[in-house]
Amino acid sequence: MNSIALNVNRRAVEVLAEPRTSLADFVRDKLDLTGTHLGCEHGVCGACTVLLDGVPARSCITYAVACEGADITTIEGLDEDEVTVELRAAFTREHALQCGYCTPGMLVSARDLVLRLPDADERRIRVGLSGNLCRCTGYVGIVRAVQSVIETRRARNIAPQPGGGRTILGPAGSGWAAPGGNEQPLRPVRQEFAAASDGIAPAVIPDFTPATVLEQRFTLPYAPAKVFAMFDDIAGIAACLPGVSLTAPPSRERVEGAIRVRLGPIAAVFEGAARVERDPAKLSGRIVGIGTDRRSRSATQGEIRYRLLPIDDGTATAVELSIGYALTGMLAQVGRPGLVRDLARRLVADFADNLDRHMSGASPGQLAPAELSGWSIVSDILRARVARFFGRRGEPG
Amino acid sequence: MKPAPFFYERPRDLNAALAMLAANGSAKIIAGGQSLGPMLNLRLVQPELVVDISGLADLKRAEICGDELVLGALVTHADIEDGRTPDVTCGAMRGVAANIAYRAVRNRGTIGGSLSHADPAADWVSALAALGARLTLRSLAGARTLAIEAFVVGALESALQAGEIVEAIHVPARAGSAHWGYAKSCRKTGEFAHAIGAVLVDPAAATARIVIGAIDTPPIVVTDAGELFGGRVAADYKQRFDARVADILLVKAGIGDAVQRHIHVSVLKRAVHEAAA
Repeated sequence: MNSIALNVNRRAVEVLAEPRTSLADFVRDKLDLTGTHLGCEHGVCGACTVLLDGVPARSCITYAVACEGADITTIEGLDEDEVTVELRAAFTREHALQCGYCTPGMLVSARDLVLRLPDADERRIRVGLSGNLCRCTGYVGIVRAVQSVIETRRARNIAPQPGGGRTILGPAGSGWAAPGGNEQPLRPVRQEFAAASDGIAPAVIPDFTPATVLEQRFTLPYAPAKVFAMFDDIAGIAACLPGVSLTAPPSRERVEGAIRVRLGPIAAVFEGAARVERDPAKLSGRIVGIGTDRRSRSATQGEIRYRLLPIDDGTATAVELSIGYALTGMLAQVGRPGLVRDLARRLVADFADNLDRHMSGASPGQLAPAELSGWSIVSDILRARVARFFGRRGEPG
Repeated sequence: MKPAPFFYERPRDLNAALAMLAANGSAKIIAGGQSLGPMLNLRLVQPELVVDISGLADLKRAEICGDELVLGALVTHADIEDGRTPDVTCGAMRGVAANIAYRAVRNRGTIGGSLSHADPAADWVSALAALGARLTLRSLAGARTLAIEAFVVGALESALQAGEIVEAIHVPARAGSAHWGYAKSCRKTGEFAHAIGAVLVDPAAATARIVIGAIDTPPIVVTDAGELFGGRVAADYKQRFDARVADILLVKAGIGDAVQRHIHVSVLKRAVHEAAA
């Protein structure tokens, strides 16, 4: 716990709170100022918007401890505020609320627009309110209310304030605190996660429809039959997949294990099982898997379909991969298809490189890192390699 | 929703922050927290220690040194949008800053934090590459300088090494004769872009830099972009813009989907038209 001192609605307060306490939880739970509403809690919906040193900020992704010494104004502190009084009247007149959940954040953002915008341009107001979501009334009444307040104020010759009154640089709310940290450096309580092999692997692996499908392709300087035989060696293939570890001896049809992936600061370990199917006649196959990452409470289903095509008169093989997946849980909140696509591209580039080395006789110990963390060093080489194959495919003939 | 518990430190200066970062491998730097905050709340990131640098005055400077603008990592998008920082780009950076996310985010989100997060769809990653900016990265071992286009190496992957932070951004002065265009495509205003086009064309000097951004991977940066304008940059560059060359660049970057490429080429074309307007 830290003792956190700041000014809320022109009143100095000092309360004990953990560093992880958001400003929103701080004012709601410690000060009973429940007018600040929490919606998404990751900075998207705008319901929690408050004034921090006089300008709007998201109180759900701003930690109270980082605002030490700052001025916070919640909706309760705007009762007598001249602009807010006008906005309240306009919201009532224009029917700009229904359930009222978004209204505190909406009023804070609207007040900022009234102060800053030079005129009541509808487009600029709509853009300015785009970070505050309303799910019931809709925006027509809200926009009209804000327009009317701006119009009447400009008609009264009240000039706009371009910066909303801010004159110093840096994040709003920062710079007031003395250096320091946890006054009682208690070790944060960590939830320990069970080991990988406590029966998490599902017995049945269902079919599914992928939400996203990525196509990848690479080539290997070996004949298709030899590559196909390699794909039959589940343990060998697993050793070539960056971040994959097996938790049970694989059979020809089923494999249990975990894959560790890193996406920037996010590290996830998906534990689960996969079903292996192969079609020797068509030199193709399919691996369908299901896994969960307990830390982020996320789950994924994925499938890899592969097809081997002879190239260079059958002396080499083009490996065509179709990677389909569906992601649910917390990771899905940030796992935009584009980010996952780049991750898959990197995984496949590493896989291709490892496979090549494995088939040329390199021992598993010489293979690539246990996860993607070593990526940046080798990125240019691998990217160039993958790009070359795509480039080749893009040319006629 | 709460993050997993973490220790919190507010270092007195940059060296103290770097020492904390070097001493704890799982430490995360927080500035405005507009990228890290959501990840902490969703528990996708669970650092043992959070080092809050938002109070370090050294990182809040914004000054013109010689013919470049030097911005400390803690300068916010709103600082640039409102003109509280000097400008050497004839308004180009103000225009970009004003359309990042939402005002409440811009009031805390910093230029250094946004770059460190290394999201390929973030505005500064593409805009500063087109403007030819450089970064100073600092660790206890010293400082090094890197061109922006060498900084982002993958989705959420930057060239930052362990114990290193973004200290400052160096933006070269835009020539008076240079034209600027910046366009992006977002399904919802303020969301991460699905396509970004940025162009800096100087017909008088016959030079052009173009950037195709928000392509999952680091942006495509063409520093000598004559090939996109039929081989030479001249006053009629708008008419000479060759969409086929842009399309080939996207194919080479691994964008296999023709629809995606069409969106990227269209957005780049919009940026070229804006520059020529």
